[in-house]
Amino acid sequence: MKSIPHALRLSGTEAYNHTSDKRFLMIGERTNVAGSPRFAKLVRAGELEAAVDVARQQVENGANVIDICFDDGLIDGKEMMTHFLQLLQGEPDIAKVPIMVDSSKWEILEAGLKCLQGKGIVNSISLKEGEEVFKEHARHIMKYGAAVVVMAFDEKGQAATYEEKIRICERAYRILIDEVGFNADDIIFDPNILTVATGIEEHNNYALDFINATKWIKENLPGAKVSGGVSNISFSFRGNNVVREAMHSAFLYHAGRAGMDMGIVNAGMLEVYDEIPKNLLDAVEDVLLNRRDDATERLLELAEEFKGQGGKKLEEDLSWRDDSVEKRLEHALLKGIDKFIDEDTEEALAKYGRPLKVIEGPLMDGMGVVGDLFGAGKMFLPQVVKSARVMKKAVAWLEPHMEAEKAANPGRKSAGRFLIATVKGDVHDIGKNIVGVVLACNGFEVTDMGVMVPCDKILDAAVEIGADVIGLSGLITPSLDEMVHVAKEMEKRGMKQPLLVGGATTSAAHTAIKIAEHYSGPVVHVLDASRSVPVTTSLLSEEQRDKFVSDNLAKQKTLRDNFLGGPKKETLTLSEARAAGPKFDWASYQPPVPSFTGARVFDMQDLRTLVEYIDWTPFFHAWELRGVWDRENKMLKTKNEEGASEAAKLYQEALAWIDRIIAENRFQARGTYGFFPANADGDDLIVWSDDARTAERCRLHTLRQQVKKDSGKPNVALADWTAPGKQEDYVGGFVVGIHGADELAAELDKAHDPYGSIMVKAIADRFAEAFAEFLHHKARVEWGYETEDELTQQQLIHENYRGIRPAPGYPAQPDHTEKPILFDLLGASDATGVTLTESCAMHPGAAVCGLMFSHPDSHYFAISELQKDQIEDYAARKGMSVSEAETWLGPWLGYVSA
Amino acid sequence: MPQPDATAELTQSLSERILVLDGAMGTTIRTYGLEEGDARGERFARNDKDLLNNGDILSLTKPDVIGDIHRRFYQAGSDICETNTFSATSIAQSEFFVEDPREKGGRKDPEFFQKIIENPFLNDLAWEMNVESSKLCRKMADDIGTDTGVKRYVAGAIGPLTVSLTNSPDANDPAFRVVTFDQVLEAYKHQVRALIEGGCDILMIETIFDSLNAKAAAVATQEVFDELRLRLPIIISAAVGRGGETMISAQKVEALWNAFAHVKPLAIGLNCSLGPDLMRPFLEELSDCAATHISAYPNAGLPNPLAPTGFDLEPPHMKDFMGDFASAGLLNLAGGCCGNTPEHVAAIAQGVRGKAPRKVPAVG
Repeated sequence: MKSIPHALRLSGTEAYNHTSDKRFLMIGERTNVAGSPRFAKLVRAGELEAAVDVARQQVENGANVIDICFDDGLIDGKEMMTHFLQLLQGEPDIAKVPIMVDSSKWEILEAGLKCLQGKGIVNSISLKEGEEVFKEHARHIMKYGAAVVVMAFDEKGQAATYEEKIRICERAYRILIDEVGFNADDIIFDPNILTVATGIEEHNNYALDFINATKWIKENLPGAKVSGGVSNISFSFRGNNVVREAMHSAFLYHAGRAGMDMGIVNAGMLEVYDEIPKNLLDAVEDVLLNRRDDATERLLELAEEFKGQGGKKLEEDLSWRDDSVEKRLEHALLKGIDKFIDEDTEEALAKYGRPLKVIEGPLMDGMGVVGDLFGAGKMFLPQVVKSARVMKKAVAWLEPHMEAEKAANPGRKSAGRFLIATVKGDVHDIGKNIVGVVLACNGFEVTDMGVMVPCDKILDAAVEIGADVIGLSGLITPSLDEMVHVAKEMEKRGMKQPLLVGGATTSAAHTAIKIAEHYSGPVVHVLDASRSVPVTTSLLSEEQRDKFVSDNLAKQKTLRDNFLGGPKKETLTLSEARAAGPKFDWASYQPPVPSFTGARVFDMQDLRTLVEYIDWTPFFHAWELRGVWDRENKMLKTKNEEGASEAAKLYQEALAWIDRIIAENRFQARGTYGFFPANADGDDLIVWSDDARTAERCRLHTLRQQVKKDSGKPNVALADWTAPGKQEDYVGGFVVGIHGADELAAELDKAHDPYGSIMVKAIADRFAEAFAEFLHHKARVEWGYETEDELTQQQLIHENYRGIRPAPGYPAQPDHTEKPILFDLLGASDATGVTLTESCAMHPGAAVCGLMFSHPDSHYFAISELQKDQIEDYAARKGMSVSEAETWLGPWLGYVSA
Repeated sequence: MPQPDATAELTQSLSERILVLDGAMGTTIRTYGLEEGDARGERFARNDKDLLNNGDILSLTKPDVIGDIHRRFYQAGSDICETNTFSATSIAQSEFFVEDPREKGGRKDPEFFQKIIENPFLNDLAWEMNVESSKLCRKMADDIGTDTGVKRYVAGAIGPLTVSLTNSPDANDPAFRVVTFDQVLEAYKHQVRALIEGGCDILMIETIFDSLNAKAAAVATQEVFDELRLRLPIIISAAVGRGGETMISAQKVEALWNAFAHVKPLAIGLNCSLGPDLMRPFLEELSDCAATHISAYPNAGLPNPLAPTGFDLEPPHMKDFMGDFASAGLLNLAGGCCGNTPEHVAAIAQGVRGKAPRKVPAVG
């Protein structure tokens, strides 16, 4: 059976397990007012942002846990502990580590415990006030689930000698284990590190006493850990950092070997043990290990040599400051760093000329990255909120400039008024609050009406405050209807403001289908808080609004069409549908005969040839540029002029990429196609292994349309276009793949060129389609019913030719499990290197496969509303279970499967 | 009536088989087609705010419906059903009964919530909701347990609240919190006492968005246990997003386990927010580190407002997913959250039936 090792297990938002393979737990001590005069000064002066930076620096320097202490006469420790820990909760890169709540006052420790979502450490309790108080405190800490530091202190005072240390620690341990029920793994002893080299003889053995007590505790008190405040040891050498750092390192080295698990130590005030000069190390170890009577004098003497030398310096990682101003702004937004935001914003303003350009350019780009990462689950709300705060600072810096610009151009509207509410019937608040915060941070004037707000109140308030945008939030299903109601009311009142819809149960599809139709103003679904900013900005920007609104309308129309295209049509039974199939006079039809049968391989297809076959329209769709590509004039036909010029640029870039890809031989195009004697058998296609048509090689399976057609058009299946019986007819097949795109994209990703990465993937997809088109062209010529140059490239792309090449998994035959049959038939995996995953997806992704039919009537069509009778028939034909067939064809089922 | 501590017998059952939890109360309630008037009943007929979506109030105004839902889940194979008390605290109920100060330009802050937790009407209402909901569930558990010979348990649901202890709603004041830890603790303690009084076997701190809220709930259980001199098993269940962190406080699952191991939960697990496929990697993480039983009750896929349940997955899908989880040795307790009807739970029960429960790793 699996087992989990004993360990001190702590957490912030991330776990920290001090398992036996970890050597030393680093506790950051710079956030302790007692240990850090600078931190104390910042806190006393109320400069808490800078104080938070101190904490961040500790984490960046590798502290596993940060010690927080406000024991200072000029600070209200209890209040500040709560306030400061609440600030840290909003700092994701700090909140990830466990917190050590440090105070000599119980009420401060208690306040700290109430702010820890993870498992922290309480530092400290002791037997100083007797057993009863000790037990009460321990029980309280256990209830909150924290580990505890126990000082070697009792009613009589502090343990200085080895004997006192082990006696008090053993007594405390027994009480905690036997009477309180504390988890031994969560007990940390601090047997007091006391200052050596003071000149007082009794102090000479203090270091050794600690080291020996540590050894005893680790051997005799199972589970218990040992910690200590390391800088105490060198207190006599204040001002001489070289000596102090050497003493700390040497002490940690020896105490660590004795079993000391952790220490409160300034990670920046440590020399590497092996790098301590030999003479200094000897002198230091003489003192620490009490090896000679004159050790202190000798070290004092030697120390003179090192006086005034700085010791190590702490450095933040500032390498990102060398990047371009855009990258710096992005970094600052991503990491939530506001330290340089003013100077960077100023530089950006100089570069971009107008404040709005800075906001809509690099700043919104940065927020876009944040939004994408958030959407992908790689950033989290607190981080997004922090990013928004930095954004706000940048906008604040720009504000006077915008004011100035406004004064120069009166009539220009600056900020927008955003009214937000959770709709009637719904109490969910937090997500909506976050949207409010993020928007407010971006300079919008946000009015938050709270939760359960009735429609009339929302709309009245919108009029009253002159809201520019109304945002509705809802988490539960019934809220969707309420949102529809609000949209209808807005229409009735003749309102024009954009309506934003968000919250867990909302969706782009629902917004398009159920809400948008009731309101003539823009209705936009907003996926998450981070996206509320670009959406609102676009809606309120005179330059971006029209494009945004029309794009949104187009998207919603597609969603509506997709939804309305399918469902709830009258259907036929399978036998009725078959009866309604096309009737051909096969006797008077002579199917074309291909010039060869079997498969042909195109192992190293020249990419240049394929460029001519590229259909660019989908390429622009991949970049969200709508329109139709005009090959002759090399332009995107669209009503949006900006889109057209973007497309022209994009096209040039794509050509440059293609040149590079070809020059560097980055893509390999491999494909195969072939012809096979075949006949229809009902809705199946028999592929024969011989020209005499005696032995079945395999069967391809097709599906028949079951929607009742009023147009009188037949209910087709792909099998209809191959002759039945044993009449001479053929079916074609092909598989093509573009290799190398994933690798190139990965390289580009690594080089932080996501744009290039997307570009090469999009190009690879186009090449795969072009290759398929090229092979289909070849196939038609081999089939003998088309000559080489009969059609123009434009006609080819618009598929103005006889015959089709439907792909398994697409609307005419949505079942992906037909792919393995096709692949086997062509020997395609060996020939092309394209393989199928478990779910029948092709790898590499830029690949296309399909069947080919030559019949003049063959055309593309869509299967929908498959009925149970066909699924049962189909499953039986394929030898799969009905539920398996239902799984593969789920979206095309016209009934609810069991 | 407080129930005896069932930890030992539950631990025994959990070593033998995977126990089945229930499905979604809210989703199932909606299939009854209730209207505003039903939710209000005579008692709350004149309330200013709508109550239809205050699901917990139906335990008082439509007890037959809630009882019927519990009955259907137990009959579908649930060993443990959760009480209809997800929002039965003074703080959560205040949303339905107290004017939102923001409507008049005010704000919600600790001063506002101090009045809420001292509001006798809200406290009495919360008490009654918890006691009555527990009794409703208890009766069905006992009846069906007797009928079928398989003992059924009642888990008192302790939800996440509508306020956060780690998050500031004020952009200009990141240390601001609308509510204090002590206020949240007080509201939860009141709920815990009432759940115990109503006869719950288990206390379930669930749909954890914010681990500090949950910490307050955990402290509440410990303090009430000490006060009443009893213990009940606790289940801890978090709602994590696509990155595997609690939705509001961004805590990873192993960090969560470390933070709650001290209450020695009967089980720790994940629920809500994700469908089973997206939940799986985080359940695996949790299963790897947690030295206790693992529970999982995912949503029926992702929200799909166009589907009848509002969610993507049908019963057979849930059966397959949860069956796979069980086969992978990840599960001790299995159920469903949003979008899961009694039919889904019956399918889940079928999916995990006969599959060996995950073995709880030993510490040492």
